[in-house]
Amino acid sequence: MSVIRLQGLKKQYAGTYVLKGIDLEFEKGQVVGYIGPNGAGKSTTIKILTGIIPDFEGEGTVLGMDLRQHPLEIKQRIGYIPEQAALYETLTPNEFLHFVGRLYRMDEADFKGKAREQLQIFELGDRADTRMNGFSKGMKQKVLLISGLIHNPEIIFLDEPLSGLDANAVILVKEILLQLKRTGKTIFYSSHIMDVVEKISDRIIIINKGEIIADGDFESLKASAHQSSLETIFTSLTGEEQHQSTAGQFVNILEN
Amino acid sequence: MDKWLLKFVMLFRGLFIRQGVDTDLMLTIVETKLLMDKRRVSMNWTRKGQKESERPLGKVLGMYVLFGFFISALILALPFIPAMIILHGYILFMMAMTLISDFSSVLLDTTDNQVILPRPVSDRTLFMARLVHILIYLLQFTIALSILPLGCTIYKAGLLIGIVLVLTILLTVLLTVFITFLLYMLVLRFVKEEKLREIITYFQIFMTVIFTLGFQILPRLIDFEGLSSSFRLHAWSYYLPPVWMALTLDAVGSRQIDSLHLLMILSAVLLPLFTFWLLIRYLVPSFTRKLAAVSNGSGVTGKVKGIPEAGGKARRKWYPSVFLSRLVCSNRTERGAFEITWKITGRDKGFRLQFYPGMAYILVFLFLFVLKGGSNIAQSWALLPSTKNYLWFIYLPLFTIGNSISIVAFNESYQASWIYYSTPVAGPGALVWGSIKALFVKYFMSCYLLLLALSWYIWGWKIAGHFAFGLLNNLLCFLIFANLSDHWLPFSRQPGIQQQAGKFVTILFQFLLVGFLVGIHYLVLHLPWVMIALSPLLALACWLLIKELQGLPWEKIVT
Repeated sequence: MSVIRLQGLKKQYAGTYVLKGIDLEFEKGQVVGYIGPNGAGKSTTIKILTGIIPDFEGEGTVLGMDLRQHPLEIKQRIGYIPEQAALYETLTPNEFLHFVGRLYRMDEADFKGKAREQLQIFELGDRADTRMNGFSKGMKQKVLLISGLIHNPEIIFLDEPLSGLDANAVILVKEILLQLKRTGKTIFYSSHIMDVVEKISDRIIIINKGEIIADGDFESLKASAHQSSLETIFTSLTGEEQHQSTAGQFVNILEN
Repeated sequence: MDKWLLKFVMLFRGLFIRQGVDTDLMLTIVETKLLMDKRRVSMNWTRKGQKESERPLGKVLGMYVLFGFFISALILALPFIPAMIILHGYILFMMAMTLISDFSSVLLDTTDNQVILPRPVSDRTLFMARLVHILIYLLQFTIALSILPLGCTIYKAGLLIGIVLVLTILLTVLLTVFITFLLYMLVLRFVKEEKLREIITYFQIFMTVIFTLGFQILPRLIDFEGLSSSFRLHAWSYYLPPVWMALTLDAVGSRQIDSLHLLMILSAVLLPLFTFWLLIRYLVPSFTRKLAAVSNGSGVTGKVKGIPEAGGKARRKWYPSVFLSRLVCSNRTERGAFEITWKITGRDKGFRLQFYPGMAYILVFLFLFVLKGGSNIAQSWALLPSTKNYLWFIYLPLFTIGNSISIVAFNESYQASWIYYSTPVAGPGALVWGSIKALFVKYFMSCYLLLLALSWYIWGWKIAGHFAFGLLNNLLCFLIFANLSDHWLPFSRQPGIQQQAGKFVTILFQFLLVGFLVGIHYLVLHLPWVMIALSPLLALACWLLIKELQGLPWEKIVT
C-alpha cells in the first residue's frame, strides 16, 4: 500500500501556478529525496502534504486518508521539520517540547522523559532550561528535529533539515535518518546538499518550475542522464549547464 | 493574575466544546502564549523609552493603574453619566490601541504556521485559542486600568452599580475585541493575499487615527453647562458604545427604564454577542487558510515592482530621491545615505507603522487646535484669518517629524548595517547627516509646504515671512534633536529592543526648547526687523550644528 499519493497536485499563488500537476506515489519505508532549484515548489509540496496549506487542486492521500477530509488524523501520525528555525524563541527547549508534546496529546511523563533524553543526546542538556533566543541556528534546528519526531511519527517530512548545521551535525542527522529508515519510517525530505541526498535516498525526485522532471533511484538517474554525480545530473536536468560561461562573464565585468 | 483569568474563562468550557473546540489543546496553547507574553515586552512601551526589566509586563500594568488613578479623580469630580462615558471610552480606547499595536502581530503571527499548523489542532481550536489569549491579555490591562475607578464608583454610587460596572466594562472589552477582530478579518477576507501585508499596515494606521479621533471627540459630545451637574448629549452620541454602557448603569442606578434606556441596555448587551456570532459564523472558517497564505504567498509572487520589462531598453525610472540628493548632498556617502533613507522609509512596514500615524495626528491636532475657537466649524473658519493660529501651522509638524530621527534607526534587517563597516566610509557623520537630511526634506519640507499653501490661502501673502523665519527655527530644532539623541546609523537597530532610560528628560528638554523658540517667534510677531536681525544668527547656529553632525566620530555611534 502506498503511504503517500498525490494526483495532479496544483497550487497557485496570485494567478501563477507554482505546482503544475505533481503525481507522486511512494511506499512505506522509503527515503525520498526531493530536490530542485529555489522556487521550484519543494516547500509548497511538503506544506500541502503536511496539511499546512489546506488549499490546493488535485487529489492527495497520506496513510490512506484524504488530505482534505482527515487533516487532523494525518497530522497526528506524521512529523514535520520546517526549514527556517521557526519556533518560539522566548521559550526554553523544555517548555517548547512540552508544548508540542501536549499538542500531540502525548502522555506527560512520556514526552517529558523523551525531551530530556533527546536534548541530552544533542548536547543541549545543560541548555534545556535557557531561552532559545540566544541559540545558534544549529541548536534551534536540533530542537526542531526533536519536536518533529517526539511523537514517533510514521512519516517524517523534512524541509531543508540540514541548513545551518555544522559538519558534525550534518553527519549526525544523516545517521539519524538512516536509522529511522531502518525502523521502517517513511522519510520525505528536501535538501540542497547533493552528496547527502545521493547517499541516503532510495529514490530521488527532481522538480523544476512546479513539475517533476526526474524520478528514480540514483543508479537509474545516472544511467538516464549519462552523468556521474547527482550534482551534474541536477544541473543538466534543470537546464543550467552554462555555469562556467556565466562565471566567466561575471568575473570579466568586474575586471572592466 | 493570568492564571485566574484563564480559570475564569474556562468556566465557559461548555460553550467552547459546543463550538467544536478542543479545550485541552486550547488551554495548552493559551498557557504557552501567556508565558511568552510575560517575556515579551509590550510594543506600546518599547517606543516610549524604558529600560528592560525582569517583569516588563508588571511595569506596564503599573502604568495602567496610574492611568486609572486619573480617571478615578474624574469620576469623583464629574456627574455620574459623563464620568461613566469617559471611563468606558477610555477603556475602549486603551484596549483598542493595545490590540492594534500589540496584537496585529499576534493575530497574524506566522510563526504559528510553522509551529502549530503541522500539529493536529483544528482551525476552530487554534482560532479560539488566539481569541482567548488576546482576551486574557487585555483583561489584565483592563483590571489594572479599572480597579481604582471601580473603587471610586462603588464609593460614590453603591455596590450594585459597582457590580453592573464590572459587567459593562467586560462588555466594552468584548465589543472592542470583537469589532477589531471583525474589521481585521473583513480585511483578510476581501483583500488579495499578495496585497495583505501592505493593506494591514495602512489599516493599522487608519485604526490608530480613528480611535484617537474618537477619543478626542468623545468629551466634546457632552455639553457641560457651566460647572453645574446639568449636561446634554448630542443626538448622535447614542451611537457610541461608551454611551450605551453609561446609560445602562444610569438605568440601574435611577431604576428608570424608559424606551431610551431600554434601547441602550439592549445595545450594550446584544451587540457584543451579535459581533461574536458574526465572527464565528462567517469569518473563522477562512481565517487559518488566509493566514497560511500570508506567510506562504509572500515570497512566491512572480512579478515584483521595479523590475524593468524583459527585452527592449530598460528605461530608468525617475526617483525624486535621486534627483534631490544631487541638489542637497555634498558628497557621495551623504548621497548614499540620503537615497536609502528616502527609499526605505517609504517601503519599510515597520517605519511606516511607527511613523505615519503621527503624520495623521498633525491633521487631527490642527483640526482640534485651530478650529476650536468658535462654537461651530463654519464660525471658527470665518474667524480664522483674524487669529494668529498660523503659528500652529508652523510648529505642529515638528514634534511628529522629529520622532522620525529615532525611528529611522530601527529596521527588521538591521543586520545589513555591516555594510557601513565593511566599506571604506571615512566617518559616520556623512551617513547620519545624509539620513537626517532625507527625513527633513522628505517629511518635514513636504508637510511644511502644504501647510504654507493652506496658510497662504487663509491669511494671504503676509504670513510668508513668518514661514521663512519659522523654517529656520524648525530646522534649528530638528538639528538640535538630531544632535541630542543617541547617534545610530540608519536602519541599524533591532526593533523591539528598548531605548535608553533618560529618554523622558530628552523629551522634556525638546518641549522646553520648542516652547522657547515658539515663544520668541510669538514675541517678535509684530517686530519684523527683529526677525530679520535674528535670522542670520539662527542660520549660523544651524550651520554649526550641521558641521557638528558631519564631523561625528565613530566613537559617538551606538552599536
